[in-house]
Amino acid sequence: MKPGKFTYHAPENLHAANQLLAELGDDAKIIAGGQSLIPVMNLRLAQPDHLIDINGISELAGIHQENGLFTLGCLTRHADVETSPLLMDKFPLLPAAAKRIGHLAIRNRGTIGGSLCNADPAAEWPLIAILLDAHLSIQSSGGERHTPAKEFIQSVYTVDLGADEILTTVAFPPLARGEGWAVNQICRRTGDFALVSVAVTLKLDRQGHIERLRLCLGSMDVTPFRLIDVEQAARGKIPDKAWIHEMAGIAFDAGSPESDMHASAQYRREMAAHLTSEVLTEALGRCRAGT
Amino acid sequence: MLNKTAFSSIGKRQPRSEDYRLLTGRGRYIDDIDISGALHACFVRSPYAHARILSIDGADAEDLPGVVGVFTGNDLSQWTTKLRMAPPIEGVKPLEMTTLPIDKVLFHGDLVACIVAEDRYLAEDAMELVDIDYEPLPPITDMFKALEDDSFLIDETLGTNLISQQSFATPDVHRIMSNGDKVIESTFSEHRQTHLPIETRGIIAQWDAGCEHLTVHVGNQATHPYRSALAARLRISESQLTVISPDVGGGFGQKIALYREELTVAALARYLNQPVRWREDRMENLMAASHAREDWVRTRTVVEADGRLKAMSLEIVEDFGGYCFYPANYLARVIAMILSGPYKLQHYAYDVKVVLTNKCGNGPMRAPMAITSWIMDGTIDNIARELGMDPVEVRRINMIREDEFPYQMATGETLEDINPFETMEKGLALIGYEKLRKQQKADQEQGIYRGIGICNVVESTTYGSKFYKSAGIPGSGHEAAWVRVEPSGAIIASVGISATGQGYETAFAQTVAEGLGVNAEDVSVQLGNTDVAPYGMGSRGARGGTAGGGTAYLAGQDAQKKVLAIAAKMLGLNTDEQLSMKGGKVWRRLDEDWSDTKLTLADVARIAYLDPTNLPQGMEPGIQIHKTYDPPSMTYSNSTHFCQVVVDVKTGAVCIERYLIVENCGTVINPLIVEGQQHGATIMGLSGTLFEQVIYDENGQNLTGSLADYLIPTATEVPDLEIVHMNTANKRTPAGIKGMAEGGVMGAIGALSNSVSDALLPFGIVIDKHPISPNVLRTLLREKE
Repeated sequence: MKPGKFTYHAPENLHAANQLLAELGDDAKIIAGGQSLIPVMNLRLAQPDHLIDINGISELAGIHQENGLFTLGCLTRHADVETSPLLMDKFPLLPAAAKRIGHLAIRNRGTIGGSLCNADPAAEWPLIAILLDAHLSIQSSGGERHTPAKEFIQSVYTVDLGADEILTTVAFPPLARGEGWAVNQICRRTGDFALVSVAVTLKLDRQGHIERLRLCLGSMDVTPFRLIDVEQAARGKIPDKAWIHEMAGIAFDAGSPESDMHASAQYRREMAAHLTSEVLTEALGRCRAGT
Repeated sequence: MLNKTAFSSIGKRQPRSEDYRLLTGRGRYIDDIDISGALHACFVRSPYAHARILSIDGADAEDLPGVVGVFTGNDLSQWTTKLRMAPPIEGVKPLEMTTLPIDKVLFHGDLVACIVAEDRYLAEDAMELVDIDYEPLPPITDMFKALEDDSFLIDETLGTNLISQQSFATPDVHRIMSNGDKVIESTFSEHRQTHLPIETRGIIAQWDAGCEHLTVHVGNQATHPYRSALAARLRISESQLTVISPDVGGGFGQKIALYREELTVAALARYLNQPVRWREDRMENLMAASHAREDWVRTRTVVEADGRLKAMSLEIVEDFGGYCFYPANYLARVIAMILSGPYKLQHYAYDVKVVLTNKCGNGPMRAPMAITSWIMDGTIDNIARELGMDPVEVRRINMIREDEFPYQMATGETLEDINPFETMEKGLALIGYEKLRKQQKADQEQGIYRGIGICNVVESTTYGSKFYKSAGIPGSGHEAAWVRVEPSGAIIASVGISATGQGYETAFAQTVAEGLGVNAEDVSVQLGNTDVAPYGMGSRGARGGTAGGGTAYLAGQDAQKKVLAIAAKMLGLNTDEQLSMKGGKVWRRLDEDWSDTKLTLADVARIAYLDPTNLPQGMEPGIQIHKTYDPPSMTYSNSTHFCQVVVDVKTGAVCIERYLIVENCGTVINPLIVEGQQHGATIMGLSGTLFEQVIYDENGQNLTGSLADYLIPTATEVPDLEIVHMNTANKRTPAGIKGMAEGGVMGAIGALSNSVSDALLPFGIVIDKHPISPNVLRTLLREKE
């Protein structure tokens, strides 16, 4: 379990990193937290000739509130999200999601950008980024472009990122005042990748009817996905027990989960239904508590 | 001032002396040992479960700069002998294996070639360049199919995949079983697991060409038997070989046998005349070190109307994998011999089959007989369900009571000095059994499915030579120790048992100190070096306390005898009868009072070494004691495990609400160490029952080669354990020690499985296989919904 030979580069700024990428192309890999890349290199499932270490590029880290968005640099560690006073105060959904990632040692090292670029269908950040319609900024030596998370994450371990591009920031639009939320998952052990995960936001109008629902399922298909039709159809409905039950039933039938050694597709469907019911109840509680 | 009857060092909650170095990062594991110029080995392994090796071409790999060579089975056969596993045991077929496979590989991960290079990175680069031509053969992955007449064979020379079969029956059992009484059938099966030591296997071999001497550093539990095996296979004398087992990060039974990788590295160090080292990586350890368990068991029982056992038969079929590093009957036979445990059963039969398949070879894993208590208490729970009785009542009516010991089991084994009825009753009172049953009923109506599982454990701890003989297992159960008092009074002791993290240095210091009459802090225990330690049988089963600690205690006592004889002469006394050692000083009894003679061990040692003309007439100079001791045929400890769970029928999750152990492990050398062992063993049992599983697919591909897929619990998955002690001494062993390192595994498997079955009784679900994963429980529940 030793990696093959590679050349190590540590560019000092984003521009230099982009230039290296433009020059080396497919033979190079960016390394940030290394929580996924290093194990696959040790197993020799990945054998890049060049590693471009972006950890020294300080402009890529940090959490900011700007232009009404919460912007996280791609080098922001999961543990920084988990413990950010700004986010805990203004956007508690993000710390709550970060806390569910792996173990503390993993969260200290792993980055939000790395997780999104890795696009594991069971990972937290793809789920949350799609749930919240996050905007991603991508830099190449040719310039910057922006893309919604839903379009960036294409399939299992597959994202819309050119060989010379770097994901630089993730911007989350904030929740509306009084908008409830909840995130939950089923794992074999604390810290494992989720067998199924479900995240939700829910906004009620003054009469208690649904104004906006977002419901996102993870590990149920090749990428996390939103139930857009269902979300739209929910508008104006009363979120009572029967409705939650109906939503659980819809979640059961959603996606096309796979069977593996830890869970059958059928188990995943049952848990998607169970978790949907749990998170909707929890989010409703938050709506009603006015947080 | 001096109490002659109670122990002073034994029983003390003494912090482990080894912890200072281990917890401050100063331990010496294999990777901490720096050997300049050492080459690194790595192994090319089979991607197939079963295949012929047609050719191996290492030329491109050898061309890579820094690569010393690619070595194959044919190369190794010049420098080493084959292993012939042919114990003189009825029903066990002989088997041979070469050091590296030559013609055929037998499991996914089996060895094909060894690469030696200047570092491990280069060796792994070279691995990708070795060109091997295989002819895949049909994989045999199911032990029942392996037994069918038309099955492909693992070893054509055997003519069968049934490597071992042994049967036993008391005279009347078959007659009673076929009397027309209803036969209650129960099945149990354990899945394949592996030992998972934190430190994987590893070795450094250094050949001294001038002295023609090989020194091997290897993490190993039994260094002397290992040295015997390695010397024989290298065709050198045991006197040409030193085996050093430094600090070892866990063994659990995986580090007893001489493995093929280690033999290869040792042979290559000698051939290349350069040090060679190998560190197994985690994937190799999970896939190819040694596996354990994987068996299917059926009991058939007839009972009286009141639940009393009339007769019972047991069948075991065990999947042993492709290779035998132990006699194939080594593990399953003990289960059959001690099955009835704390229950009265005189009419009994067993049939034990062991089968070869295309999987990694099995070995003993803490506890080799782990399934025993679950089979027995699970069978009793089934009897209770069948008769509509409370499971505790069926246990009570069958249990051996205090006045019935010693009790001879149907297999001839004798149980004594145990108190299963007492530990069970104590635990029932502590958990409030009757009240809990009422609560369970009330909760069920609310949709809360709570279960209570009970498992009574009789743990075979210390195997004496006599047991090995009667179980048809080659080997001795004796142990050896020495104690030296040096001229300054410094005390050094050694035992032929190597430590893998158990705290032996502390525990043995306490037993030597008890025997010699000194403080344990003053005893230095040196283990794990065959040039230092006496020839002993190593760490296995739960023999460390009784065999290791017991022998050390006896050696300490002999040392004290000599010290007192010298002291008597020094004090001008005719006899040492009124003298005793305590705290490193000589005490003298005058009437009922003990007084300090002011004579210290150092004073006595100085005479023994430096002034021998002042020794009693005829006494040899020095204080050096060598002692060997063969324990009784078998010592037994006992315990009752109680597990209370709630099963979430929606998610299939099992939540352990309470876990209580009431146990009797005899004299406790060090309560801190014993509780650590009991916690570790119980957690290992829970872990195997809930999480750990080696999975092969139908092609024999191992799917669990990383810790992302082979699951072990972390602190968050482990319940609090309550332990209550009801210890009674063993009358036949030194200081009354019994041993206790494996019973926790046995109890946990049974108590947890029985509790989940109890919780799911309303659904008619009985747990008969593991792991009890949420996915499995949901599948069972779905069928009933």
